[in-house]
Amino acid sequence: MSIGRDYASLSARIVKSRFAQLVVNEHLKSKMFAIPVHLALGHEAFSEAVAAAMRDGDKLICSHRNLHYQFARGATLFEILEEFKLSDKGLAKGRGGSMNLTNPDGSIVYTSSILGNNLCVAAGVALSKRIKREEGVVSVVTGDGGMEEGAFYETLENARNMDLPLIILVENNHWSLGTRIEERRKPINLSQLASGLGARYTALEGNDPIQYRDELMAVRGRVHLQRIPEIVEVRLTTLGDWRLQTDEFPGGKFINYHAGSAPKVSLDNGPVLGSDASDPVYLIKENLGEPGFARLIESTRRLFSDFLTT
Amino acid sequence: MKYVSCVNELFRNEISKFHEFVLYGQNVSAGSCLGGLTRGLGESKGCSVFNVPNTENTLVGIGFGLMLSGTSSAFFMKQQDFLLLGIDQLTNTNNFVRQQAPTASFTIVNITMDAGYEGIQSSLNSLSDLCAIANCKGYTLSSKQDAELVVEQCFAKPGFRIISVSQRLFATEILDFQTAIAVHDDFVVRYRQGDTATIACSNFSLPQGKKLCDHFSQSGLDASLYGITAAHPCSYKPIVDDARKTGRLVIIDDSKSYSSINALLEIEALRAGVGMVHVVKRRMTEDSYRPLSESFDVDVSDVALHLNLPLRVA
Repeated sequence: MSIGRDYASLSARIVKSRFAQLVVNEHLKSKMFAIPVHLALGHEAFSEAVAAAMRDGDKLICSHRNLHYQFARGATLFEILEEFKLSDKGLAKGRGGSMNLTNPDGSIVYTSSILGNNLCVAAGVALSKRIKREEGVVSVVTGDGGMEEGAFYETLENARNMDLPLIILVENNHWSLGTRIEERRKPINLSQLASGLGARYTALEGNDPIQYRDELMAVRGRVHLQRIPEIVEVRLTTLGDWRLQTDEFPGGKFINYHAGSAPKVSLDNGPVLGSDASDPVYLIKENLGEPGFARLIESTRRLFSDFLTT
Repeated sequence: MKYVSCVNELFRNEISKFHEFVLYGQNVSAGSCLGGLTRGLGESKGCSVFNVPNTENTLVGIGFGLMLSGTSSAFFMKQQDFLLLGIDQLTNTNNFVRQQAPTASFTIVNITMDAGYEGIQSSLNSLSDLCAIANCKGYTLSSKQDAELVVEQCFAKPGFRIISVSQRLFATEILDFQTAIAVHDDFVVRYRQGDTATIACSNFSLPQGKKLCDHFSQSGLDASLYGITAAHPCSYKPIVDDARKTGRLVIIDDSKSYSSINALLEIEALRAGVGMVHVVKRRMTEDSYRPLSESFDVDVSDVALHLNLPLRVA
């Protein structure tokens, strides 16, 4: 991978998002919030690429797991922490919490905790763009659980019929709550589903932010120009899992991370959580090399010094 | 004028006032144009019309998405029961959007299947039940006066509401009370004023209430007649005040609900010391969900007995 200016910029944003989430995690471990919070450790390369591919007039609609998009679209750690404390200094003045948190200044106009719910609303936002002849496309985030809802099919059908500038981003982390895909259904071929409705499909994986950004910009260009909705499915891993030791599982039972704190993740251990391509920060470390990565960590730590010392 | 023509004309007038408007639903500008209800509604210059597939959940969400983006719209649909498919949007998305101080309007206009013989797909005929789940505003249109009031005052107003029309009334002459005396802010309409009893009609029971009121007249007695157009809680003070004067209140409800909003009026009336309160409702049994005529008539002799009045029974 070539390390150009774009990569340096995106990797800095990814590491910043990771650090910010680790600070949130420390607050979660200390039970500082009454509300449920869904971290998105491991999702940062995609969310930063989505934000980088967005243009003026674009709108983003999120799901309950939206923290990485909030940071990618300009929310500060202070605003997020205050929001999660339901303080009037928060991003949405304490009225959004985490699962319904919006940030109109960052073009995040709607967020829903109900699986599938946000897809339908996104179609309406996209229809409004068409009616008002406004520039921009609408991207809506769902997951491999959310896409199981009937609303996924209905939204794609309506977006195709109405020629809407809609991109459906499927963050496929293989889990819905505590069940893997194979534990709850047969595989769904989204490419064929899209094709059957006359829509398009793009698959991403590997956590290369430059490749993600470039592919997303190409998707955006097609959707904007041709008004044919497109599904972008990204395969990623939600980090923060741990092993729970019980009498039944003396070797430890695998617990996937879904919500709340990631108890085995510590800010003290730094931002690298994985040892392969499933962790975008690990990849950055590999690509930058030890000295470059150490400099990046140091500069990021300085950004969050107020939060790291408390 | 036929009920459907009157309501159609009112909607047409309101839509023509919008610079930009989205009208959508199944068959809105094709086929039957929803039985005439939506015929010609899309002819206004600023109106975009979409005939859409059968995807109620998404169609409700689209309306809220439009609203969030400042575009006003109306989703016309048949079968109130089908709206149950959009209950997540009606509840959760509505509760988000209402906090955003919306500048656009979103109205769902649904046709309540109450003409009979529809079987299970007419299980839900109580708009207040739907409004109670969604905690939203809703209105039933039964007369020229309440249709004018609701459509002219609510349809273009920023925010969300459901307006329900009755399939049973579609082809009938619309009730037009030249003597409609007072209209109250909370969408309670007084059609007649009398001193013997007070009749309050909810959902689509105004025709039955009028018929009962006529029985009073034929018996040489005058009754007040009210229509409760709002399907959400509102102030029943005008009705209760009237009932305190007459001493008798008849509440008519043609819905199939056992938790109808009318209970609020009944409680308020009893608390206010109204002497006699009689509720006329459908008697629902397990058999009630078969395809049946669904006709709903007020038993005048029963009302006479409960109110201790010498009503002439035809």
